Amino acid sequence: MKVIEINGLTRDYGKGQGVFELSFTIEQGEVFGFLGPNGAGKTTAIRHLMGFLKPQIGKCTIEGFDCWKDSARIQKDLGYIPGEMAFFDGMTGMEFLNFTAKYRNLKDKKLMKDLINRFDLNPNGKLKKMSKGMKQKIGIVAAFMHDPNVLILDEPTSGLDPLMQNRFIDLINEEKKKSKTILMSSHMFEEVERTCHRVSIIKNGRLATIDSVDALKTAQIRKYIITFEDKLAAENFSKENIDIINISENHVTITVQNNIKEIISLMNKYPVTNISAPNLSLEEIFMKYYGGKDND
Amino acid sequence: MINMELYKHTFKEIWKMLLIFATILTMYFIIIIYMFDPKLGAVLDEFTKALPEVMAMFGMVVSSTTLLGFLSTYLYGFLMLVFPMIFTIIVANRLIARHVDRGSMTYLLAAPVNRKTVAFTQMKVLATGIFLLVLYTMLIGIIASELSFPAELEIGKFVLLNIGVLSLHFFIGGISFLSSCIFNDTKKSVAFGAGIPALAYIIQMLANAGEKAENLKYITFFTLFNANELIAGKTTAIYQIVILFLAAIVLFVLGIIVFDRKDLHI
Repeated sequence: MKVIEINGLTRDYGKGQGVFELSFTIEQGEVFGFLGPNGAGKTTAIRHLMGFLKPQIGKCTIEGFDCWKDSARIQKDLGYIPGEMAFFDGMTGMEFLNFTAKYRNLKDKKLMKDLINRFDLNPNGKLKKMSKGMKQKIGIVAAFMHDPNVLILDEPTSGLDPLMQNRFIDLINEEKKKSKTILMSSHMFEEVERTCHRVSIIKNGRLATIDSVDALKTAQIRKYIITFEDKLAAENFSKENIDIINISENHVTITVQNNIKEIISLMNKYPVTNISAPNLSLEEIFMKYYGGKDND
Repeated sequence: MINMELYKHTFKEIWKMLLIFATILTMYFIIIIYMFDPKLGAVLDEFTKALPEVMAMFGMVVSSTTLLGFLSTYLYGFLMLVFPMIFTIIVANRLIARHVDRGSMTYLLAAPVNRKTVAFTQMKVLATGIFLLVLYTMLIGIIASELSFPAELEIGKFVLLNIGVLSLHFFIGGISFLSSCIFNDTKKSVAFGAGIPALAYIIQMLANAGEKAENLKYITFFTLFNANELIAGKTTAIYQIVILFLAAIVLFVLGIIVFDRKDLHI
């Protein structure tokens, strides 16, 4: 069953900003990764799903309801983590959660307490004084505490430390088992790799690609920075048959895809002093794999 | 149509401000009522004769020899216009525009509560606040008068005067609320929500002061609240406050519709 449906959605802000003819569907029980560089239109698409914006052209539905007209109905069964946490003045975390529960007419607070414990959250401080990570945890609890069937998560782990990121991934995987439908935007490869069934990338407001995470994994590209003893060695090395991204002084940046053995044997011939593997962002991997030229 | 939890929350937010304004007005009411003296009133009337423009600018024209005339002149010509107006403007801006500007509106709409309910609930808080402030000051006025000058105040007319001032402030609230619903950032919401009533008030002051500027009274809504004619029991003055009240409802409804239909970049 299709749970989230975006059909020909267009919102033109001018100057190439906005979303254009965006269409995709997410099935019941599917975890869908939503990726793209900043300003690509992810948040604009999410705002339409949340009923904050009215589509200029096209339509969005969730569980068969129109996102603009029936937004309040949809929200009964939806959990949302906004890209930016903005709470009310002067409340403590606990006051905010209690307010949200009552505002939603949620009576059973067991899940709220479980989530607070799961994320080692002390919700008794003033929201204003909380760190970004703490606020993010409050946002997570608020999004999951009414046990919604649909989740829309805009960079849900931003500000969380690695331990908490892991706990969040566990939470998503539990929800996945309960056949929840989840749309998650993210910048973290690991997070998406460990949770999502399918991943889409949106660029300049258009859908660049949708693929399964498995396809993405087999195509995984890594980036290495190799340091040589001198500039000459670096230059000679770069003449070999390899994918070079950049050469500066005695550092060479290369990309490797399934041919790591070759590279190792090549490196043996040169005076290599150091090798490091910086993290490639998910977008980089994606854009490399699908041959999209970075023209930002 | 109304979300009680939000109503309680917002009311708690404005409660302190309501208290502050109520305290300031209590102080003025007590001092000014205490100052009433039919003889002093006669002296002040002399003042009015000597400096009619200056006194008129602040709405002080009625004869001050009766307690009602005195209160109408010295409390309902300036203080009861300006203080509740400031209260209304600050509160109205907080109701919608501030939540949109800061992004906290996200949490109000990411819940099974539709926009009309959110806006209507917030509007109710404003209306309650204005009502309580006017009701409270009216009671203070009556109590202080009865304590200092028993049976001197014509209570019926005084209540009518307060209904008039209530309608006026509902109308100002309507302007500020509509502005809060239209604009997405606090600066613009305040610029219009405070700017229009303030400008209207200044025009009113000018219109009161000078013969040449008298025609200005036709372009400011403050003219519709005519304290003197109201306590004199003139029907046109009563129609005028009915107009203010109905116009206030129109503005509130308009605000709710605008907020319900607009795009929110939150």
